[in-house]
This record gives sequence, structure tokens and C-alpha cells, in this order.
Amino acid sequence: MRSTRNSFASLCLVLFGLLLMPLTLKAEEVGEYIAIRKTGASRIAIVLDKTAAKGDKESAWASSLNTAIKGGLDFTGLFNLMPAPLNIRNSQDGMLNLGSIASVGGDIYAGGSVTKKSGKPVLEMQVFDASGKSLLHRNYSGEESQLRAIGLRFCADLVELLTGKRSVFGTKIVFISNRTGNKEVYMCDFDGENVVQLTNSRSISLTPTVSSDGNYLAWMDYTSGRPNLYIKNLATGAKVSVNKHGVCISPAWRPGTNTLVTTLSYQGDQDLYLIRADGTVDRRLTKGGGIDVSPSFSPDGSKMAFVSTRQGGPHVFIQDMNSGQVRRLTYSGTYNTQPSWSPNGDKILYSSMQKSGEINIFSIGADGSGLLQLTSGSRNNEYPSWSPDGSMIVFSSTRGGKRKLYVMNADGTNQKPLLRMEGEQQQPSWSVNK
Amino acid sequence: MTSVKKITKRALYVPALLLLGACCTTRQPEPVPPPPPPAPVAPLGDIFFDFDRSGITPEGEAQLKQNAGWMVANTAKSVVIEGHCDERGTSEYNMALGQRRADSAMDAMVSLGADQARMTAISYGEEKPFDTGHDEAGWAQNRRAHFVEQ
Repeated sequence: MRSTRNSFASLCLVLFGLLLMPLTLKAEEVGEYIAIRKTGASRIAIVLDKTAAKGDKESAWASSLNTAIKGGLDFTGLFNLMPAPLNIRNSQDGMLNLGSIASVGGDIYAGGSVTKKSGKPVLEMQVFDASGKSLLHRNYSGEESQLRAIGLRFCADLVELLTGKRSVFGTKIVFISNRTGNKEVYMCDFDGENVVQLTNSRSISLTPTVSSDGNYLAWMDYTSGRPNLYIKNLATGAKVSVNKHGVCISPAWRPGTNTLVTTLSYQGDQDLYLIRADGTVDRRLTKGGGIDVSPSFSPDGSKMAFVSTRQGGPHVFIQDMNSGQVRRLTYSGTYNTQPSWSPNGDKILYSSMQKSGEINIFSIGADGSGLLQLTSGSRNNEYPSWSPDGSMIVFSSTRGGKRKLYVMNADGTNQKPLLRMEGEQQQPSWSVNK
Repeated sequence: MTSVKKITKRALYVPALLLLGACCTTRQPEPVPPPPPPAPVAPLGDIFFDFDRSGITPEGEAQLKQNAGWMVANTAKSVVIEGHCDERGTSEYNMALGQRRADSAMDAMVSLGADQARMTAISYGEEKPFDTGHDEAGWAQNRRAHFVEQ
């Protein structure tokens, strides 16, 4: 009785919340949008049913799909996953007993079946809320070799349905690993799966980053005997270099353009330069005053956060790309580096070396307000990079000894390893998938 | 038989005496003394930096004078100056700092008379530590400009 009353209260809250939601949220083709998750709200309790299947082939497919869907939803940190209660289906007719969802405290039910059509798997998924209302009913098909991708497409739809935002599913992360004995560029899926080695420089490769349209990869290495910045067209494989003497490090693509900003020192100081995708210098953006490094753009590309020693130790500054005006962002701490501007535009992450020598990740409003420490007591935590949807952060940490990649939710919760891989991993950069 | 032996002995003595006489009368030229060895040129050496600094210390300046002397004495050689940092701090910043250290050392070398055209400054940031220790003793070894003869 109490749980029913609680469920009714939750439903009222949900409906009230719905009234307050902005109208920009789009309706789904099946079932209308419900706004269960609000900022600061707890996880969505989802009853995830096993995928039904008839036949050996289909049962094997269902097992793979279950793994992909469970893993995908769990990875987001948005859900409290619950197994289906025993009475989820009526014993007589096998129909869904949606009343059982609320009885175990679930907000949402998701389940479906996989069948074989023309030899290929078709996943039919249904989502209901605790009141029994259908929120989603959709088929997902593909090749037998794409079962993980099929399951994750459902996960992407579910997250977008419940949060109104694009999800991390389908995105990629580029990073550096010394697995082969040399530091090379690698790429993996959003959840650390499908690791692919992108360079074979047999030197030291550093700071990889993919353009906002997913077309270009930029990184630096020492293959020419000195540091050089390379830009590779990921579709054609064509590669150009910037080829200026001195340092070249930490490129960042300007959103919506095929230009990047990087640190060069061929004119003396370590300054930031705007570079075209063909490797030529467009213009110099900063001049003098010590080191300027690690640029990161606001989502509209109009402003650039970067690290500068112009006022002493390294701090984060923001430069307006049109006016050139610069303001200092960080005042707390004495060694603040590696800014990463959120896709929503409101926050900037950075890493700060503290008096203890430990490096930790902080979040600060782009206006300088709301400073928040996201990591602590876990050795060196560096190089934060936002997921393209702004829901998660990838970073490197030495908390387990060797430097490895970890992910956390945007508020610092749910910190967990991203992948299991030999050697050390560092400098992750989250990007869209092309 | 005896007389034959005597004659033979005399035949050997006479040329020997003549040869000895010739040796005594002809003046052997004085051996040319070897040229004095060049003043020893002190070898190239590395210089070290304080944490997050690229300024040359007094000890560093003394070493750079020696290195500049080496450059003057070895006009056919060139030098790569590698800028290195300790593991603390973040890697991209350290890459920029390493360049600053290498540039700083090279600028000082030029002011001490070394030929800039024969020097190259390259940063390795924190990527190639000389000492893998995780304490100040190790870090101090890694904050350096390393001079490599080419």
C-alpha cells in the first residue's frame, strides 16, 4: 500500500515536472516524452527484461543483445538497473504485467524479443512507464556481426527519450598508449570497446584530437627527429604536417570549422596559432608573456580557454576570438592546466596540481562561479575531456598505480575504469563518430 | 787455412769500420719535437633548472661557458639542446616548459659566443626522464637541458 502511494506521489511529481520542462524537448513517434530525470535527480530505476527468443540462433543473439544493452545503459550512470520480477508476465497468457514494475520500485520497463528475418537479427523493443503507458516501440535490425551496435542503438534512443539529449552511444575516444613500447595514438568506442591503433610512429606520439565533424585527426610525434604536428584526413588517409621548428603541442579543433589552434614556438615564445587543415598557419592568436598552451573552445567557437603563465604560474584564461580580449578564469590554486569547455557551454573542467603534489580535476562555471572539485585522494587525475553530449567525462588517473583511463559522470560521481589494456594510457579526447 | 780465415775476417772488419766511420762523421738531423698538445677542451655538459623555471642558474651559466668553448673549438660539430622536465605537472605544459628551457640554454650559448646555426633546441617535456625516481633527487636530475653532440 505504501509503495502504491509512493508510486502515485512519484507519478504526480513526474507530471508536475513535465509541466515545467522546456518545450524544446521533442516528442517520440511512439509514446510521448516524459521528463523523469531532472538535474540532481536520482537514477532512473529501470526494469530491464531479458530479450525473448525462439530457436538456438536467436537465443545466442539475445544473449549478445542483453550484454550490449545492459552494459550500455549501466555505462551511462543514468540508470539503476533492476531484473524483471518473477510476475512480469501473466502465467496464463504471457502478457506483460506492467503493474509489477511499480511494485518493485521501477520507473520504467524495457524489454523485447529478437527474431530472424532473411537470416538477419531484428530486435523489437518496447518501453513502458510504471503506469503502463507505452513510451517507445521500435525495431532495430542489422547484420549478425553488429549485435552490439544494434543493442546500443536502442540504448541511444532510450537515453534520448528520457533525457532529451543525445547520448554517448556511438561516440569515440582517441588516446595515447605505450602498449607497444612506444607512445601511439589509439581509438576506442565510448565504453572502451573496439580498441584500434591509429599510428605506428615508433616514436613518442602525444595529444591526439578529432575535429568536431569527425573528419580530421591531429596529433604530434617525433618521427621526423623533432616534434611535429600532423593532421590526417580520416576518410582519405592523407596526412600533412605543420612543420615549424620548436615545440608543437596540444592542438584543439575550433568547433564547426576545419581549423585548429595549437602551441608553436618558432617565433620565440610558446604562443597559440590558428592552423588550417592543410597545415598552414592562418594567424597568431597570442603573443609573448610566457607559455600559452592547451586551448579548448566554447561550443560556438567564439571563445577559447587556454593555459598561460602571463601572470606567474600556469592558470586558465579565456580569450574572445573576435576581439582578442583576455580574462583570467582561475584564481584558486597555483598550477591550473588542461581546460576542457563543456558541450553545453556553461562549465570548464581543468586539472590543478595541489600543494600535496596530487593533481585533481575541477569544474568551474565559464563565468568563474561554482568551483567544484571532482576527484580527490586518488593520486594524479588529469586531462579531462567531455563526452559530446556533456553527460560524462573521460580522464587519466594513476589511482591504481599505472596511468589508465577512467570515466565519471559530469558531476564527478560514478568514477570507473574505461578499458582494460596493457601498458599506460593517457590524454583521452572524446569525439563524435564519423 | 789460417790465412784464409784472417783474410776473411779483415774483409769483414774493413767495411764495418768504414761504416762506423761514416756513421760518426754524418750528423743525424735533430728529431722534430712533437707539437705541444692543444689545450684540453672541456666536454659538453648538461645544465639543471628549478621546478617550473627556465632561468639559467649560476652553476648552469658556468657549464654553458664551458659548452660555448667546446663549440668554438669544434667548429665542425653541431649540438642538439634537449629540454627536459620532471614528471610533476601536466605533460603538455611540460612540453612547452621543456622548449623554454632548451631555448633559454641556446640563447645563453649564443650570448657566450656559440654559433646559433650549429645548435637546435628540442623539447621532450617529461617524456624521457634520466632518473625514474619519484622524489626530489630524481626530479632534480630530470629538470635539465641536455647537450647532445651531432
